[in-house]
Amino acid sequence: MLDDQEIKKLLLRSALREEGSAEAFECLYRLCAPLMLGVAQRVVGRRELAEEVLHDAFTTIWRKADTFDPFATQPVAWMVAIVRNRAIDVQSSHDVARVDSYHDAADDSDGALDRLFDWSEPPGEAEDRRRATSWLRDCLSGLQAVERQALVLAYHHGMSHGDLAAHLRKPLGTVKTWVRRGLKNLRQCIDSCMDGAR
Amino acid sequence: MRLARSAMLDALSGEYLLGTLRGLARKRFERALRDEPLVALRLKHWETLFAPRFAAAIAVQPAAGGWARLTRELGLARFSTPWHRRLGFWRNFALAATAALAIGTAFQVLRPMLEPAPVEIARLEGKTEVARVSARLSGDRQTLELRPARPVHAGPAQSYELWLIPAEGGAPLSLAVLGNLDARVPVAPAHSRRLIPGAKLAVSVEPAGGSPTGGPTGPVILAGQI
Repeated sequence: MLDDQEIKKLLLRSALREEGSAEAFECLYRLCAPLMLGVAQRVVGRRELAEEVLHDAFTTIWRKADTFDPFATQPVAWMVAIVRNRAIDVQSSHDVARVDSYHDAADDSDGALDRLFDWSEPPGEAEDRRRATSWLRDCLSGLQAVERQALVLAYHHGMSHGDLAAHLRKPLGTVKTWVRRGLKNLRQCIDSCMDGAR
Repeated sequence: MRLARSAMLDALSGEYLLGTLRGLARKRFERALRDEPLVALRLKHWETLFAPRFAAAIAVQPAAGGWARLTRELGLARFSTPWHRRLGFWRNFALAATAALAIGTAFQVLRPMLEPAPVEIARLEGKTEVARVSARLSGDRQTLELRPARPVHAGPAQSYELWLIPAEGGAPLSLAVLGNLDARVPVAPAHSRRLIPGAKLAVSVEPAGGSPTGGPTGPVILAGQI
């Protein structure tokens, strides 16, 4: 698992733009590029496009490293958001023909949640982070199966509403409702966990 | 400040994060993200709620040239530490030097073990009172080792000369001129090839410095079949 503390240090060091920043950034690349490429490939499907996304994402990470807020944001999540956003843009503009290869995600069970995501507790993670992770895990599990499946497919595979409708063989409107309701219910569930913890 | 006041803000933020917000709606949201702090704040809230970590199993090793291309395009060389000032360099240098030394030492220590032990190829015996000599050839067939049963030294005006009498016959070949018979003799490849069963080793007594003729001139005191 990527060590958030280590990644944070490397990001801040890269942002300084001083002697040694290049080495820090290289280290960041070596550590994170494989996971980021995996994320990109899930979304765009094609390997060569995914490599382009990875390149663009690391260019953005280098340029925006000084806007990374170490107190507000988890560094890996920050980087993953950059790569996902880029991948979604590329996927939309390339009109990527989606190959129906989501057998792992189509299986809707807690097993799928645990296979696609890593819920384990990273060493040295702050207590509130750790709690937020377990609330998310529990609240996702607690959703209706169709809602959970829609959210997981959208996030993990970068599926649009249209992709979801095609993949799940449901009308577009139905799928949109699942997504919207799923997000709302997830939000409410996590909010109530937070209230309960106060 | 339009999107910030929208009743849809929460849903849009969620869908943006999820990735289902596409096309123009996505562009509009990104513009609002830059221009409206409340929108950015709402997204940040969603990011703290919904940040599942991707399983490490999805990782894919990037193509080899990826890093080099980034270095080039971003001009990263400007921000790198000169090689001689890198702690890592000296640490690695020290590690490498230590490792080289250790390997060198280990090699020296292990070499006798790694090389096949010398093999006795002949026992040289004489009719006179001269000690028996064991002739042993090293594993690499480049050194002939003579081990007398007791020390045998040539007189001041004499030398011993070691001969190889080839299996196929022909003139004896001189292998070495020796002052005593406890010796290690380097063997040329041309001679090494002839140290085979059927050949003979012999030691003759010659004038100091060895045979003047190139063939044995003095008495043969020791001989043995290979």
